[in-house]
Amino acid sequence: MKRSLLLALLAVAVPTLASAQAKKQAPQHALDAGQACRVVPGAGWMKKQAEWFDDSKHDWTNDTLRTQLLAAAGLTAPLSMPVQRGVQIAGQDPQLGPTAAAMTEMLKKMAAQRGGEWPTKSVVGAAGVHAVYLLSQSDTGLGRAVLHRMMEAGPAESPSADVATFEDRLRLVWGRKQIYGTQFRSENGKIVLAPMEDSAHADLRREDAALPPFSLGLCFAKTGR
Amino acid sequence: MRKMIQVAGRWSLVSGVILSTPHVAAAQKPAVGSTTKVSFSGETPGREPKSFAPMVGSWLMQRDAGQNVLFIDGRVWKRGQPAGGLADKARELYGARNEEFIESIKAFAYYPIAVYKGLDDFENGEISVRFQMIGGTLDRCAGILFNVKPNGDYLTVRYNGTEDNVVLWTFNNGVRKFVSRAPTLTPLELGTWHTLKISVHGTSLKSWLDDKPMHDYTLSGPVSGKIGVWSKTDSMIEFADFTVTPTAK
Repeated sequence: MKRSLLLALLAVAVPTLASAQAKKQAPQHALDAGQACRVVPGAGWMKKQAEWFDDSKHDWTNDTLRTQLLAAAGLTAPLSMPVQRGVQIAGQDPQLGPTAAAMTEMLKKMAAQRGGEWPTKSVVGAAGVHAVYLLSQSDTGLGRAVLHRMMEAGPAESPSADVATFEDRLRLVWGRKQIYGTQFRSENGKIVLAPMEDSAHADLRREDAALPPFSLGLCFAKTGR
Repeated sequence: MRKMIQVAGRWSLVSGVILSTPHVAAAQKPAVGSTTKVSFSGETPGREPKSFAPMVGSWLMQRDAGQNVLFIDGRVWKRGQPAGGLADKARELYGARNEEFIESIKAFAYYPIAVYKGLDDFENGEISVRFQMIGGTLDRCAGILFNVKPNGDYLTVRYNGTEDNVVLWTFNNGVRKFVSRAPTLTPLELGTWHTLKISVHGTSLKSWLDDKPMHDYTLSGPVSGKIGVWSKTDSMIEFADFTVTPTAK
């Protein structure tokens, strides 16, 4: 009884807290769905993403695998900025390429081989790593393995913004609350933030992960922009 | 009747609990059985702590919910810098052997540590610390550092919020080795306070997370060295109420 009451309170409180924080911390960002979400030119998160996803040096080692990954994920390089807005709405997954299923199976086999080659940035470039992230979204088992590999590889090889967004997604699958505020769902035509813990420090975590400020993320989610 | 004593700016309650230690003037050996709690109340937000020597990582005092806390800011770790003034701090802690300490610590640049200045040698007793995970994309680690040797070797019992577990690690000659993982997985919410505690009696090591037993392990040898707090890579963690009670074996 107590537990269900607590859960009900949390369901109401979390979006309220998030909204309150968004209003408090970001007066420059419109939360009204009718307004555009203003991205400050030269914002730190944009710069970090632009630097990380810069593939102009062509310094990856496995071009064949990179080409396969991009085709399977339906991506075209160079990626347009920002690559990761930190907004995922349940049931609105990106359109993948026709070879996605086969590539997902291949990634599963690679993930099962400890010590084997794994498509990190130095192997398949930044776009290739983002393709791995997109391909792993719909398979929970693969997702866990990929998230682990991304964390293990570290910030030079894995984009923090993708790692953060992916962790949020998987935490919800595992029955936990998200921690960055990147996951949303549609309820009666409204976009609602999925359950979240410690929204008070969300912007610290988001800054660290090269995600836009929480208020801007909420704006992106609500306006679909 | 309990008796309060004052030693080098610290208040201690002999045979009982505490008293806050704003800062510590010089390392020493507290009376066996007395408990020292570092409250950080006399520290200055925005500055490095006076009661701890940050050796690796960006350790700063900050205010959170009206209290001073020691914050390891893993966002700064990504720049790959050891803590400022490492040589001076190492000299303060270990005198002539500071170069050996520095060489070893540099090998552990992934692992921020801050050494408590108020105790030269912890051999037996209890150490606890309250911590709150704030963030970290790769790691969210809060640990108790102990058995810190002049050559930079040490032991740590830590909680990692990305793995939900408590693990004992050893660091010897620049190499980190896994020693023992507590069998219980304990997911903790970010932004909530928890307590990590260890007890050492001879070679017996026990650990607790929020009073739940985690480790009951036999070390390869007795413990003797400095103590402190530990973290990993990009962890953002707040620490409070670092408490130590040295006891007879």
